[in-house]
Amino acid sequence: MNEKEKKVRSMKTRGMIADTIVHIVLAVLAFIWVIPVAWIILLSFSTQKGSYVTSFFPKGYTLNNYIRLFTDRNILDFPQMFMNTFIIACCCCVISTFFVLSMAYCMSRMRFKMRKPYMNIAMILNLFPGFMSMIAIYYILKVFNLTDGAMIRVALILVYSGGAGINFYIAKGFFDTVPKALDEAAYLDGATRFQVFTKVTIPLSKPIIVYTVLNSFLGPWLDFIFAKVICRANAKYYTVSVGLWKMLEKEYIDSWYTCFAAGAVCISIPISILFVIMQRYYTDGLSGAVKG
Amino acid sequence: MKRKVVSLMLTATMAVGMLAACGSNDNASSAGNSSSAASTSDASVAESTGDASAAEDSSASTEEEAITTTLTVWAPSEDQSADSGQWLQTMCEQFNAAHPNWDLTFEYGVCAEGDAKSTVTQDVEGAADVYMFANDNLTALISANGIAKLGGQTAEAVKNTNSQAIVDSVSVDGSIYGVPFTTNTWFMFYDKSVFSEDDIKNLDTMLSKGKVSFPITNSWYIASFYVANGCTLFGEDGTDEAAGIDFSGEKAQQVTDYLVDLVANPNFVSDADGSGLSGLRDGSVSAMFSGSWDASSVAEALGENYGVAQLPCITINGEEKQLKSFAGSKAIGVNPNCEYPQVAVALASYLGSAEAQKAHYELRSVIPCNTELLADPDIASDVLVTAQNNTFDNTSIIQPFVKAMDNYWTPAENFGKSLVSKEVTHENAVEKTEQLNTSLNSSVVE
Repeated sequence: MNEKEKKVRSMKTRGMIADTIVHIVLAVLAFIWVIPVAWIILLSFSTQKGSYVTSFFPKGYTLNNYIRLFTDRNILDFPQMFMNTFIIACCCCVISTFFVLSMAYCMSRMRFKMRKPYMNIAMILNLFPGFMSMIAIYYILKVFNLTDGAMIRVALILVYSGGAGINFYIAKGFFDTVPKALDEAAYLDGATRFQVFTKVTIPLSKPIIVYTVLNSFLGPWLDFIFAKVICRANAKYYTVSVGLWKMLEKEYIDSWYTCFAAGAVCISIPISILFVIMQRYYTDGLSGAVKG
Repeated sequence: MKRKVVSLMLTATMAVGMLAACGSNDNASSAGNSSSAASTSDASVAESTGDASAAEDSSASTEEEAITTTLTVWAPSEDQSADSGQWLQTMCEQFNAAHPNWDLTFEYGVCAEGDAKSTVTQDVEGAADVYMFANDNLTALISANGIAKLGGQTAEAVKNTNSQAIVDSVSVDGSIYGVPFTTNTWFMFYDKSVFSEDDIKNLDTMLSKGKVSFPITNSWYIASFYVANGCTLFGEDGTDEAAGIDFSGEKAQQVTDYLVDLVANPNFVSDADGSGLSGLRDGSVSAMFSGSWDASSVAEALGENYGVAQLPCITINGEEKQLKSFAGSKAIGVNPNCEYPQVAVALASYLGSAEAQKAHYELRSVIPCNTELLADPDIASDVLVTAQNNTFDNTSIIQPFVKAMDNYWTPAENFGKSLVSKEVTHENAVEKTEQLNTSLNSSVVE
């Protein structure tokens, strides 16, 4: 009895030690990972002037950076850029999610001759960075008169969502895990392919839909190079990334540096909101169907 | 086997990617060329601008033909902001009013002078009719056929109202390409309570009295030391591309030795990421080197001790040598693809006129370069204007804008960094300077 108890106890202490070590390592990693984010947030509330930061914690706190960012619209019109990006991101989000899910469904469920070669082609094409073709894309858009005035927004939506379909690999992998038997059952009940897609596959694939939506919503907020090439001198249509880059130019950096940090924080807001709304679907997924 | 195929494919894609990346620039300019060639050939550009100035000549005396058109004008956003008086809009409307026969509508775009190179050459045909550029963009603009030669009255006016150095800064092979409206260089800001008028004549004297900050890791600044001791960039006047950059021999090595001592000096602070300006604010630095864009921040930081002056001398082997900054100008250029070149050229010359420069100075403190305007007592009494113009006239060289100058920036910056990190020492100064000279003269692309 005693021996057994001892064994259990030593097992327990061993487990405790391992857990502590793991948690310490994780805490250290989390700390390192959070520092830059925390620093940007602190900087965005800092009262300091200029771009040279001498201490981690600001010497004074203020909301003025945010106020200035949204009220000083003369030189760098951040609210306008923010709206531009938001509109583009919303449109992109819908269009590219549709593209990705359709592509993934076809690749996962249909069998046709070009399937394998097509998947290989997509894989190889994906290895090329998209901005390689930026000049060509610019001239193509120009031919369709999409590089002037309000059409610039349309052009950017096209650019960000047009190639989305090629990123179907992850969604396809997910669809492959949805049991085919479910599809077959639906067919037997007289469902069409489209009905199977919308009524069976999609409700079972919420996590991957959330992932796709978030990803395609993020694109326009993060991309700099296409926005720069397509907007050129049309400051009215700049997206936030071009605006943030402008804030760090030689002429502006001294007075806009803390506003830049505030801008960076603001960008994360719509993305976080979207994430919070969609987060609960991450855990749902297959649970309902398999039980039934 | 499979792994081999994958790695082969990876290398192939990388190679293709690199080729494409190298080619993209060419594509841009050649596409620009061909698209502009479609509408106007090279010859007709010169012709049409010739016409333009001729038309303008006649317009001065006789009546202008009636024209209704839309002109696109690109300028930095400060020129268009309501806060600083909408200089561009005001000037363009005045120009429209001054020409009753022309019914002009203006479209404004935002493009800082230094970005003209990339923004205009990306799509020359779709670029603005009239735009502002920094003169170091000139070579790229000409090779993309994005800028028209100015002739006739406009060229004469530019020659008559600017100093020779400024005219040279917008000329290539004897032809004038833009209407200059300001100079662009860097000089010294200092704290008057620390340094006297005599102290600021020599950097070494200054270092013995107070902390001096210098952006030595920035290649735009570091050349001043080498030029001071007789090193040259592309010949005496900076236009001889074949001459290359001469940072060789004893003259350059003496400077390297000087710089090694400089960075070791406890009163020297390397200015990077805005530390100079921040140092002026908290008093840990008493002098820094920058340009007019920092002037208002420095003035605020120093208050009544605000001092600004041309560059000091340095003492090398007991001899005083004058530091020499890179200087350039900003000018207004005309796109050869514009529909009515005579209107565009007239607008460019109006935006660069004494009247417009005066308004620019009053609204935005853009330092004028018009010689008549500089004689104006109001403007002449501005310390910043005086400092910038003294620097331009006495302690600067025109920043070379030949193509090979592109090779200068990165090696020079790296050299500055290795000086600060003390990789360069008195022992290896000779060798490191030779290496620098070699890399300055070799193209990365070839």
